[in-house]
Amino acid sequence: MYRLFLAARYIRMRPINWIGTLSIFVAVGALILILAIMSGFLEHSREHLRGHLADVTIAPSFDIPMNLEGAYPPRRPEPLLAAVRGEEKVRAAAAQMLWYGMLVPPRSEAVFSDRETMDMVMVSFVGIDLPDEYGVTQLREDLGRPVQFGSRDQRPDNLDDPFAYPAEYKPDPDQRPLDTILMGERQAAKWNLRKGDTLELATATIDQESGSFGQAANITVVLAGTYRSTFNELDLSRIYMRREALGDWLGRPGEFSQVALRLEDYEQDAKASVPRVREDLIERGLLHKPREHGASFAWEVQTWEQSRKAMLSAIENERALLGIMLGLVLLVAGFGVFAITSMMVTEKRRDIGILSALGATPGGILTLFLSIGGLEALLGIVCGIGTGVLAALKINEFEQWLSQTLGYQIFDRSVYYFDHIPTRIEYGGIVGIAVAAMLTALLSAAIPAIRAALLNPVDALRYE
Amino acid sequence: MSDPTPLIRARGIERSYKLGDRRLEILRGIDLDLWPGERLCLMGASGTGKSTLLNILGLLDRPTAGTVEIEGKNGWSLSTSRRAWYRNHRLGYVFQFYHLFAELNAVENAVLPAMIQTGPLSWFGRKGDVRKRAIELLTRFGLAERLKHRPGKLSGGEQQRVAIARALLLDPPILIADEPTGNLDRSTGESVLELLFEEQARRQIGLLLVTHDERLALRCDRVLHMEDGRIIGESRPAREGERQVPSTAPAGDAPQA
Repeated sequence: MYRLFLAARYIRMRPINWIGTLSIFVAVGALILILAIMSGFLEHSREHLRGHLADVTIAPSFDIPMNLEGAYPPRRPEPLLAAVRGEEKVRAAAAQMLWYGMLVPPRSEAVFSDRETMDMVMVSFVGIDLPDEYGVTQLREDLGRPVQFGSRDQRPDNLDDPFAYPAEYKPDPDQRPLDTILMGERQAAKWNLRKGDTLELATATIDQESGSFGQAANITVVLAGTYRSTFNELDLSRIYMRREALGDWLGRPGEFSQVALRLEDYEQDAKASVPRVREDLIERGLLHKPREHGASFAWEVQTWEQSRKAMLSAIENERALLGIMLGLVLLVAGFGVFAITSMMVTEKRRDIGILSALGATPGGILTLFLSIGGLEALLGIVCGIGTGVLAALKINEFEQWLSQTLGYQIFDRSVYYFDHIPTRIEYGGIVGIAVAAMLTALLSAAIPAIRAALLNPVDALRYE
Repeated sequence: MSDPTPLIRARGIERSYKLGDRRLEILRGIDLDLWPGERLCLMGASGTGKSTLLNILGLLDRPTAGTVEIEGKNGWSLSTSRRAWYRNHRLGYVFQFYHLFAELNAVENAVLPAMIQTGPLSWFGRKGDVRKRAIELLTRFGLAERLKHRPGKLSGGEQQRVAIARALLLDPPILIADEPTGNLDRSTGESVLELLFEEQARRQIGLLLVTHDERLALRCDRVLHMEDGRIIGESRPAREGERQVPSTAPAGDAPQA
């Protein structure tokens, strides 16, 4: 009993022990807060990505023959759409055409002039079919979001037909009618584009016969409206067009790049359904068979997680790396416990001798000093968990207060495209941090504790 | 009838330390017996090895040669934990500098040996009894008003009384006192000594005492004179007649009434 009793008394009566507690407290609190923020970012990023990407995409490799007879996958989406729409767990399917090119803002004088290249923006064109697209992504919600960047409402006039000419655009009856596009609200604000403005898109098309990049192709389009997803990267790079219009521009009428699917319940169904859908499509001759040698063609059917694997793992890695770096804070805290316990062993040398004379075993003395480290850590962990969790829950209020006080926006919402700092408290993580902090403290206290246990009681009693 | 067993029987105790190439001989073959109820005094000049001998007899320091039997058991052949048990249950210590814990009050200091003896769970069952016994002892020692005081708030005499209460809490049959009055003024020393002798007589404890004080030695049953790591002589001071001769001491080795 004396071990815990004396350890608690030493801690209470010798405030220097609180340094050990303080170092553990800071480490635990900071770890919990940072991991909560990183987990929040990860979760939000997943949710955002999730919203813009279809559950599953099926993208046949059109240029690779499927068999010795030289058959290629069909370039038009209808057979694939008909096949997947018959699948049990598929709620919706939509064909998309993807292409890359440049956005040439209205004030650029020359597209390929060196002087002006700074004005050209690489973008991806997404040709979509409406209303099919609304069934597989959250484009409709993105088109309906209230304006955040810029002062004007740039949303399309009619969400049921967002590619319709906006009221601001008056078509010239003498010219061929122009196609319309939808672009990210931020992109439009950046180039000061307004609904109804015309702008030019540029790309290079592939020569169908030679298979090489050939003709430069420009097209003038009308901005029919803007959308705002909650994912910055997509908003700055994606331009939506009618699939039919994109196909015509590229000289590939009616073609598609991929079919996007929405499953009934992704979390529940994806694992079982995706391989089944793929097998079914292979059987129907719409996708490539996995070859015995070489390519597996697994990329032809991908879940959203697979297609964004690099980005998701990057965030996950960042979290792990940050955790490791913050683990160093624990090491520093451990050093604090080591220093304080070492000091206590030196200071309490005589007490160690008295305890030996009164019948304490070396094991008991070891446990006494381990208990000092353990109790310091326990206090630090309890306070650290309380503060860390509270800070994670109140981080936005705190950030706002600090930003107002300092007159500097600490968390720039436009950079991350989050309107708040996302946090997610993971209880498993908290337990892990608490266990790691306790182990660090005990290991740090063990070295001086062993030194105390090995002290010769006679030498210890002589100590003044 | 079997031979009576002394509380402590030391034979051929030697203790030396290596000092570079030299070997420093502190104790050079000490034989000693302590009997129940006996007051045995070790006297000698500083550096004669009295405290070293006390540490060896108290199972705190291992002799270079020789044996120490505590109630018939060879103390230095026991395991570390068993030796700790003997120190806790069979031996009580009183030090010259009291050696109390600065962070604990008088009662907490006094109950410490019982805490060492008891695990956390059984402590809560025993705590009340032990504290009661400690308070009774401290009250008898004139510390009723000082129970909650820490050593820093106690005088030297009061601290030594707390140390004696701590040594006697578990009723050990052996009490080892290393110059218990050496750090006290004369009158305080006298009163502490009275208390120590009174308890020793009442409990029939074997008291092994180290002192420089001739007057104190005169009140012991036997005095062993040490010089240069050896016992050079033994005297039996004339004692006040009321003390009982320890019944187990063999003839010729026991104090005379």
